[in-house]
Amino acid sequence: MLSDPTGSWTPVALSVDLPPGTVVPARTPAGPIALWRSASGRPSASADRCPHRGMRLSHGFVRGETLSCIYHGWSYGAAGNCLRIPAHPGLSPPETIRVATHPVEEAGGVIWVGVGEPATQPPQLAGLVPLRSLQAQAGMAALEAAAGAKADENGLLETTQNSQEIRLLLAFQERDETLIHVLLDGDSSLLERIAVSRAVEALRRKAEAIEAEGSSR
Amino acid sequence: MKLYNYILSPSCYKVRLMAALIGVRLELRPVDFHPGGEHRGPELMALNPAGSIPILEDGDLVLTESSAILVYLAAKAAPEWLGSGKAEEAARVQQWLSFSGRLTASLGGARLHEMLLRPGDIGAFQAQGIAALRELEAGLFEQGLRGQRFLAADRPTVADIACFPYVALAPDGGVSLDPYPAIRLWSRAIRALDGFIEMPGIHRLHELKPEPHIEPGEA
Repeated sequence: MLSDPTGSWTPVALSVDLPPGTVVPARTPAGPIALWRSASGRPSASADRCPHRGMRLSHGFVRGETLSCIYHGWSYGAAGNCLRIPAHPGLSPPETIRVATHPVEEAGGVIWVGVGEPATQPPQLAGLVPLRSLQAQAGMAALEAAAGAKADENGLLETTQNSQEIRLLLAFQERDETLIHVLLDGDSSLLERIAVSRAVEALRRKAEAIEAEGSSR
Repeated sequence: MKLYNYILSPSCYKVRLMAALIGVRLELRPVDFHPGGEHRGPELMALNPAGSIPILEDGDLVLTESSAILVYLAAKAAPEWLGSGKAEEAARVQQWLSFSGRLTASLGGARLHEMLLRPGDIGAFQAQGIAALRELEAGLFEQGLRGQRFLAADRPTVADIACFPYVALAPDGGVSLDPYPAIRLWSRAIRALDGFIEMPGIHRLHELKPEPHIEPGEA
């Protein structure tokens, strides 16, 4: 999480996990969001709540350039304005029916969502490509303790686990929950990728044990 | 072929889904699983002393394990769903067929506890369910690295059908599916298959259907 006076960026998902025409749930420090990509490939982020009946929009579906709620089919554009209410086919929905939206930046295979109005761009991950994302039932402190290393101000953490070099991009989810994006060199082999993925799972087990021990004290 | 069926049972749905995907017609014999407990009554216990459903009857053959029923349907009508037979692929199919039993015990246990108030340690069911989902997520991620979208191959097999229903219904047992991107993509790939059918709690991909258009005044 990169903080600046007016806002911050959170790495919420990897590009590869959000193909065109899909929506997924994600979290920012400002709350849950529906992260979606239109058929033409444009990523957008809205609050994960349909203003009609409160259904999670991440349970919905993407058709063309709009996100639709699974409950009654209300459809929203990238700007958050309601475009269509199927039960009232003759109605142009008023401008006041909107979902809150967030700025989205996609770079190097990572999708970042802004909370507030960040003055800067999200950090660059020069030379590294993302491998996979996984969630840990452990806070940042427990992950840092398990790794024996500190994350920098961008959430980047480097460590060695079972003689495997690991680079992680950490995103705060809850006090005791962290989203881990695994990064590696773009020219890594299949076996190296699998080895890094398994090493990060081992690190997660260690961090979760530390977290559980800490909370039972 | 006669399937002793309960509409809300994920294991019965496996059989209905497999049959629909490969074009096998089933005669459905509804079982009053809840509240009647008919699967524990004399008629069904005579067929299956384990007191479970689904049960598939085909002539003299009576099958009572859902994975065996999937294999039987595939072998009869669409053997490509059994995998190519290469050593590694054949083993992966068996690996995930066995694994599906752990999904039933964990996520299925949590679901029965939450929906039908069956006794049990809900915390343990959920923790075991999360552990199983993490294994599945890692397995699918590694398959993706090998360029394969499904559990045993780059095409669906009986293993995918055996695992899909209890995973898709995990939220019924209070287990979130939010943290699993590879499972999400796999679930979409299964729901996008030709012939896919729904069960209560597992819906099709709406975006694959044409957008309904209602003229003003028609509604």
